[in-house]
Amino acid sequence: MKPDDIPEDMPEDIPEDMPENISGDDSEETVQVPNLDPAFKYEVMRNEGAGGLKYCFACGACTASCPIHEIDHGFDPRKLARMVQLGMKDEVLSSPLIWYCSACRNCEQHCPQSVEFFNILNVLKNMAAEKGYAPYAWVVQTRHLMRTGMVFRTDEAWETRRKALSLPPLQLDGEKVRELIELSGLDELIVKKRP
Amino acid sequence: MNRYALFLGCTTPRYVFQYELSSRWVLKQLGIELIDIDDFACCGFNQIDLNKETGLLLAAMNLAVAEARGLNILTLCTSCAGALAEAAKKLKADPKKREGVNSKLQTVALEYRGNIEVKHISRVLYEDIGVEKIEEAVKTDLSGLRAAPHYGCHYLKPEWISAGFDEPDAPQTLHQLISATGAVPISYETSNLCCGGKTFPISRDTTLSLVNRKLNNLKTKEIDCMVLQCPTCYLMYGEMQKQINKRFGEEHEVPVLLYPQLLGLALGGNPQTDLGLDLNAIPLDGIMARIAKSDQD
Repeated sequence: MKPDDIPEDMPEDIPEDMPENISGDDSEETVQVPNLDPAFKYEVMRNEGAGGLKYCFACGACTASCPIHEIDHGFDPRKLARMVQLGMKDEVLSSPLIWYCSACRNCEQHCPQSVEFFNILNVLKNMAAEKGYAPYAWVVQTRHLMRTGMVFRTDEAWETRRKALSLPPLQLDGEKVRELIELSGLDELIVKKRP
Repeated sequence: MNRYALFLGCTTPRYVFQYELSSRWVLKQLGIELIDIDDFACCGFNQIDLNKETGLLLAAMNLAVAEARGLNILTLCTSCAGALAEAAKKLKADPKKREGVNSKLQTVALEYRGNIEVKHISRVLYEDIGVEKIEEAVKTDLSGLRAAPHYGCHYLKPEWISAGFDEPDAPQTLHQLISATGAVPISYETSNLCCGGKTFPISRDTTLSLVNRKLNNLKTKEIDCMVLQCPTCYLMYGEMQKQINKRFGEEHEVPVLLYPQLLGLALGGNPQTDLGLDLNAIPLDGIMARIAKSDQD
């Protein structure tokens, strides 16, 4: 737009190159109020380490320092925090993206409001797992754990390899771990089906 | 003599034999006694995702096992260090929580009283041995070897984990430990970037892109190797380069060493039998030739 083309009634303080959509992406969607669960944020904040959500003013320091966001913009800590505040329970808990976090903890490290987003996300993942959204990879790890006490499959070739390198044999026994997993109900959680 | 219960975790004894080998060897040389404990299991780091309580219980179980033997814990994995230290902190600060955990540990005949300290191997080297003593113990000159440090997130964060010891946004202990061997620590823009290891089973592409970012940054620096201190970080940077080259059309061939391997070289260890250098995915011939040459000079 050339200066001569500017309509007379346009306010002067709008920069010429202002994009139509100020956020720079076109993924904005309308949130329908009747679909929101206003109690969701309280449900989340009740949990240890999650109370700080109350103080989030959406500055985006978390998102700016998030290594996963940098690669995959779909994973967005600020947006997730806002979605929880708004009560978008089903969208948040069913989203595969909440499992993308690499647990680097930059978000809490750089938050000016001391919001522990890592913990908040953990609460969300626990809630999602309760509903049957546990990712397959994590379910497999838990199954290995219940067998051997460690999260990987083990086999004879592996034991032979350790022996050849003069590394001590590991006495793998998942019994105690299995008992503790059963006591805390994780064994039932990993067989839940997605809704 | 310092004694620690050696907490191997899952990834090191399963996939990164050279880390275990070299760690055992260098700690022995420097007078740290390691006790192997059969009753240790997974630290619970990933189980926290599914059920926070299970994660805490698994960590507490390991702490109780070490406590029963009167030993503090030394870990090789930064995430094990983080998960165990976090559980130890919570259970020390909150007797009620400890009581709740103990009511469950009872069923496996364990109890945690809250007195265990958890340290990552590099922290033990830095605090218990110290940079000066390491310098004195060096036998092979590594000077001129340019090494890019990668710390690993849970060595530094959350902030209290490294309080009084290192600084999450400007870490320096691994730099100093590298310097102690005679090698030169090289800083780079993405040095604090996460390896993405935890995301790997969820989204391979995301993690490999992340790893590629750092490798591309390192390409602009003249380095001989990357030095790191976590088995998961090693798997991502050390073992994934071929996959990344194929997927993204890159030509990375950055040698990656675990810190105890670098230290072991300086202490005069046998590259194969003591330090497992032949097990590293990217060949270390260039580095070995360099060291052999500086030995002759």
